[in-house]
Amino acid sequence: MTAAALPTRRQSFLAQTLAMSKRAIIAVIRQPAMVIPSLLFPLFFVALGTSSFSKAIVIPGFPKVDSFLDFALAGSIVQGILFGSTVSATALATDIENGFFDRLLASPTSRVSILIGRLAGGMAYGGLQTLLFILVLLPFGLTVQSGVVGVLVMILGGILVALAVGGLMAAMAIKTGSSEAVQGAFPLLFILLFFSSTFFPRETMKGYHAAIADVNPLSFISEGFRSLTIESLSASAVAQTLLIPLGLTVLTVSLSLRTLRGRLDAS
Amino acid sequence: MSATLSSAGGIAVRSVRNLLRLPSVFLPALLMPTFQVVSFTGTYRGVTEIPGFPTDHAANWYLPLAVVMGCSFAGLGIGFTTIRDIESGFYDRLRMSPAPRRSLLMGPLLAAWVRAVFAIVLVTIVGTLLGARLTDGVLGLLTLAAAGIGIATVGTGWALGLAYRFRDMRAAAIMQLTLFFGLFLTDANSPLNVMTGWLHGVARINPLTNILRLARTGFLGEVTWSDSWGGLVAIGVLGVLAMWFARTGLNKLDD
Repeated sequence: MTAAALPTRRQSFLAQTLAMSKRAIIAVIRQPAMVIPSLLFPLFFVALGTSSFSKAIVIPGFPKVDSFLDFALAGSIVQGILFGSTVSATALATDIENGFFDRLLASPTSRVSILIGRLAGGMAYGGLQTLLFILVLLPFGLTVQSGVVGVLVMILGGILVALAVGGLMAAMAIKTGSSEAVQGAFPLLFILLFFSSTFFPRETMKGYHAAIADVNPLSFISEGFRSLTIESLSASAVAQTLLIPLGLTVLTVSLSLRTLRGRLDAS
Repeated sequence: MSATLSSAGGIAVRSVRNLLRLPSVFLPALLMPTFQVVSFTGTYRGVTEIPGFPTDHAANWYLPLAVVMGCSFAGLGIGFTTIRDIESGFYDRLRMSPAPRRSLLMGPLLAAWVRAVFAIVLVTIVGTLLGARLTDGVLGLLTLAAAGIGIATVGTGWALGLAYRFRDMRAAAIMQLTLFFGLFLTDANSPLNVMTGWLHGVARINPLTNILRLARTGFLGEVTWSDSWGGLVAIGVLGVLAMWFARTGLNKLDD
């Protein structure tokens, strides 16, 4: 091979990430039983909430919406992505358990591409979930005030949220090397979800619950998606939907890379 | 009869001892309803401001829901331990023993009631700390306990019946999902008069709605017969059906 034919470092990194991503996405497609609950449960809760709380839209502090369904969309997206993101991290832990991860590390593959590639399945699924929730709820009266551009921003936001949560769970997978530990950590995400404005507005909460929701990043993420649903397109709503998950992504992926380095140093 | 009672007591004592030896198996079933009362009371505090909502304290509405949920999972927990016993072969030894067949159902049922009492006590204490108040004194606690023990009976029968039929952990998912969906397809989140749409129709005919009404009656005003009898009938009918389901499952296990 001539020097000109040799792939550059960047091309090699991209090719590796794409190959790893392809493997992760195929793994998600091949295991529908793992991901279907993260589609059905959020939709069930939206259906339940829309029937149970349809009259709650008139209470003081509730944002101005046409129906509870419009309010609930953001909750279903965040909830679904949180459920789904553990799938990628569990797969990473399984790779560690069965030794495949060690073989990848022994190969001349970039560490970052191994990690990002593994999380790509969750990212693709996060975007798909966002689109599916919107498409499924549209015939039931959902209105996305920010239009097609808003939907596209939400899909991008969904991908970023999936990467942010996936990064956190990947750090746990790398640290423990146990798929059971990753799944065991899921209730923590569930607790975080309920102590946020994902299901009900912060303005109607009081005391310690409101105090936790006020600092919970999931509140701000949900409210970003919600703004795009119930308000017309605005720069602040786009920024909230994209920048907060992006900031979290930087933090969690850095954490997982650091955990990976720690694991390599230890071995 | 005394042989049945003594064997059932032995099985129940073993099950309760297992709670102390393996708390990790039982703790999630206690923590889940506790978390539910904390999270629902905080998250949905504002729903009490909906016109027509029967209480102005969210804890009064969600404490009974968490108790009923926790007690139903107390029954399901018995199903999980039965599956483990079947898989480990211990259940074969139980079946080969001269213990009356009825005791194999009564023992787990007694153990489920003990678990349910733990859930009732813990969730009631936490709910009270969050602001729940009885509106008709001790009678309200009795109706709450009756609903809790009743749903634990239904849950136990349902879980045992599935455990005997599937004989492995596949049954666990079915146990959980059916009760989970069954309980949420009621007036779990908001009362029937506040509800709209499809759920209203489903919740109206769901017998578990009556059990929840029984659990809540002492937290929403005076305990009345009209709010209680439906729940008691639902517990009676569903309890008998569930235990019959368990009994026929046990017979299949013998085949």
